[in-house]
Amino acid sequence: MIVQFLLAMTATASFAVLFGVPKEQFLFSSLTGALGWISYLIFCELGFGTVFASLFATFFLTIISRFFASIRKNPVTLYLVTGIFTLVPGAGIYYASYYFIMNDMHLFTAKGMETFKIAGAISIGIIFGFAIPQSIFQIKKKNRKL
Amino acid sequence: MSDSKERLTLAVEIADLLLRSGAEIYRVEDTLLHILDAFDLENFDVYVLSNGIFASANEDREDACSIIRHVPLSDVHLGKIAALNQLSREICSHACDINEAWARLNQCKAIPAPKPWVQGLSCGVGCGCFTAIFGGGFLDAVFTFVLGIFLQYMRMDHEARKTSKFMTNIVGSAFLTAASLLLLNLGLPVMQDKIVIGGIVPLLPGIALTTSIRDLFNGDYLSGAIHLLDALLTAMCIAVGVGFVMVFYQHIPGGIRLS
Repeated sequence: MIVQFLLAMTATASFAVLFGVPKEQFLFSSLTGALGWISYLIFCELGFGTVFASLFATFFLTIISRFFASIRKNPVTLYLVTGIFTLVPGAGIYYASYYFIMNDMHLFTAKGMETFKIAGAISIGIIFGFAIPQSIFQIKKKNRKL
Repeated sequence: MSDSKERLTLAVEIADLLLRSGAEIYRVEDTLLHILDAFDLENFDVYVLSNGIFASANEDREDACSIIRHVPLSDVHLGKIAALNQLSREICSHACDINEAWARLNQCKAIPAPKPWVQGLSCGVGCGCFTAIFGGGFLDAVFTFVLGIFLQYMRMDHEARKTSKFMTNIVGSAFLTAASLLLLNLGLPVMQDKIVIGGIVPLLPGIALTTSIRDLFNGDYLSGAIHLLDALLTAMCIAVGVGFVMVFYQHIPGGIRLS
């Protein structure tokens, strides 16, 4: 789990470099990605299945990025966009096209639908994450300062 | 105080750069409105799309002015968004006047993209780590690291030649698949699927998907739809690139039968 955390952090940090995130924010961007991935793994372990785990992990990720955005006074995009890469269903796209080529229509449909569901789950996670009023994050910020 | 045209131009220039760097529509509109307000313009209105800005100010007065901008979809640079965010905060709190703001805007414009070798290396490290995360072994991660560096150089080359983004995605994922199949054919103990999955991560439409959802959620349906279409087409291009190579591979004599 710790190895996974560190790997996810390194992966997100290198994408942060790629997208020109300012140096001061590297740590926070990579933390967002790593926490998102770890929460995904935890939800998977708890037996929620990939779709719901994606939903919860994205929700959690969005909250963390909004929290960081609030305490670091930076646009939330900085953290969210780099962090979300761990959850985007790249494997789903690959396996779906693979089974399609292999003419395994049963597995293709299953994988394709799963990929779509995960993409939808990510959307819903982000939407729920942004539905939380901004004021909550500002209270957290004040508490931190005290 | 400068004339209204200049103030409106400054505001739109800032919004233009924000949009180019990949900010969501809501942020661009909000920034524009706040800056125009801070500049004491009246009766202003703005309409922002993911590839265009329309703004007008002081409509009922002598010095009425308006600006239309076309902003092509281009490269994401989150550092510019952060810098512009800071600038617009200062403008709104009247901490910097219009001349200073112009100078600062030019500074923001000049923030360079990371150096090519930094981009290549970080792409490689990122790809390698993703392979490891998604269940690949050490050897797989090392190969993906190398392939990731090649991939990023290829993307930068395509960008310089202004190749279509779709072509870049198709060629990129095809290259990854071909390279991974070659490694497999050489008899190396690699997990071919993990290499491809880790390698295509930089091509995935993560940013387009996120931006589109946020635009849709904020009620900017048109911009959200534009980005969503972008995300779907990118995903399809990746699938096409991967699939294309696999079909070929199946028909090459001596290719290991994939199961």
